[in-house]
Amino acid sequence: MLYSLKKTSRLKTLGLMIVPALLAACSAPEALNISGSSTVLPAVSLTAEQYTMETGISVIVNAGGSGSGFNQLAQGQTDIGMMSRDITPSELTNFEGIDFTEIAIGRDAVVPSISSEIYEAGVQALTLAQIADIYSGRVDNWSEFGGPDRPIFAIDKEASRGTRQIFMGVVFGNSKAEAAGADLVTGSNNEEQTALTQSDAAIGMLSFAWLNEDVRGLSVILPDGQTVAPSLDNIQNGTFPFVRNLNVVTRGEASLPVQNFVAYLLGPKGQEAVEKSGYIRISE
Amino acid sequence: MSNITSLKRGRTARRKSAVQIYCQVSAVLTIVIVSLILLTLLIQSGPVLLAENNGLLGTHWNPDEGVYGIVPMLFGSIFVMIIATLIAVPIGLMTAIYISETRSSKLRRAFKSILELLVGIPSIVYGLIGVAYLNIWIADAFDLQSGRVILTAGILLGIMILPTFLTLSEDAISAVPLKFRENAKALGLYRHEIFKSVIFPQAKVGIAGAGLLALGRALGETMAVMLVIGSLDRLPSPLLNPLSSGQTITSKLGREVGESAFGSTHFSALVFMSLILVMITITLTISSQYFLTRKTAHV
Repeated sequence: MLYSLKKTSRLKTLGLMIVPALLAACSAPEALNISGSSTVLPAVSLTAEQYTMETGISVIVNAGGSGSGFNQLAQGQTDIGMMSRDITPSELTNFEGIDFTEIAIGRDAVVPSISSEIYEAGVQALTLAQIADIYSGRVDNWSEFGGPDRPIFAIDKEASRGTRQIFMGVVFGNSKAEAAGADLVTGSNNEEQTALTQSDAAIGMLSFAWLNEDVRGLSVILPDGQTVAPSLDNIQNGTFPFVRNLNVVTRGEASLPVQNFVAYLLGPKGQEAVEKSGYIRISE
Repeated sequence: MSNITSLKRGRTARRKSAVQIYCQVSAVLTIVIVSLILLTLLIQSGPVLLAENNGLLGTHWNPDEGVYGIVPMLFGSIFVMIIATLIAVPIGLMTAIYISETRSSKLRRAFKSILELLVGIPSIVYGLIGVAYLNIWIADAFDLQSGRVILTAGILLGIMILPTFLTLSEDAISAVPLKFRENAKALGLYRHEIFKSVIFPQAKVGIAGAGLLALGRALGETMAVMLVIGSLDRLPSPLLNPLSSGQTITSKLGREVGESAFGSTHFSALVFMSLILVMITITLTISSQYFLTRKTAHV
């Protein structure tokens, strides 16, 4: 009887010792968590792969959108947030008392994009006012812009997406404008690109890096009559109206691993990855 | 000798009581968890309910203006659920009758185990199939610009809840005791007559319970719906047009919960929607339980 008591108590102690050991084991591998904009993601995850190969530190990169990336960072659920726009004042007031550092790692353009069928039928450039007409629902047929007689299928994005906020900011002068003419709402660039590809009369907004043969970028006709194509040159020299910085954001006093990774992003390897992902480098 | 047996007896008694306590603690824990969830939902719904001009019962949702109209989402959830039921119930019921009434028990068992495998497939898998195929087929069939519409979500959900409904209603039909069938047969009734006037009246309560349980699953489904419904916070126009994009409560939560700051009115509005969803699901579950237990009580 005495023996058995001893045995159980010993087992208990063993159990109590195992629990913290297990907990420690769970948190042991040092990993850097990054999440946010699906626009910034390709460049960062490409860099992360190289970084892991060189240093052995694992980096976990997740998409979710700029707004979601910022919230996760502010709530301490991730180490670095990726944002394809600047932090808004209302986001800052939500988390008063926390310092955020915004670091631009590259530049990109949001491009009004259309299904290749419409592009090939002759609609290759629109004015900002015409794009606004589509998204506010005033115009609903491509024939009004010299295209085929087909209803316009306007694709919007989730309100928190950086791409949408830049797009709406330029088109309507208000980054949070509502789009009454929208027929579909998508989330990531990937999702938007799929929807544009599957349709033959759609317009949407994509990051420059996501254009391809099925999804064409529209040229924009500026108020002075100049037509600007979405080319690397025009984005670099700033004539294309929808240019933005791609940022990573850190909170408070950044830890050493975070600082190291940000420095790596700005270094030659990181900038190469930015370029490889179809964006423009921020430093030579 | 007697000492040893008494010791043994004492130990088993103590072990029993330990098991008893363990079970009781588990039971209490479960209840505590459920009530904590409900309590949290209630408390977190507070800010939006107290906010002025929250427009909760409107059709306009714009967190920046502080307007949180939940009607489009509520409507979308119910609309999708109805479409899913209209698809799953007739097919499921006919199949259940077929396998339980006309096939051998060996085939029935094989069929059921396959069905139960289907229940276990993660919903994101259904969602991917929906995005890759169903969505395109619907777009082609109805000549739409995009197949991400309410109908697609409804069909996908219908397929998802079919196994649940089928297997439960088949249970209900098979649970009707053999003596009823034998007596009916002895009276010279045809097979379809036996089913119509003897078996179905006894099984229908169980079938109704199965239907409600499946409905609950349909309401709570998120990933698959989110990928194919189009996520447009607007009532379809005309109202009952299943070929327009929409939004359900779950897809709205999936899309927006990441961007809303914890503790904000926006977050609270999302919590309020989930509270409504939980209420509906609880009602469905309780009533299905009522039906399912009544079935056994009658037999």
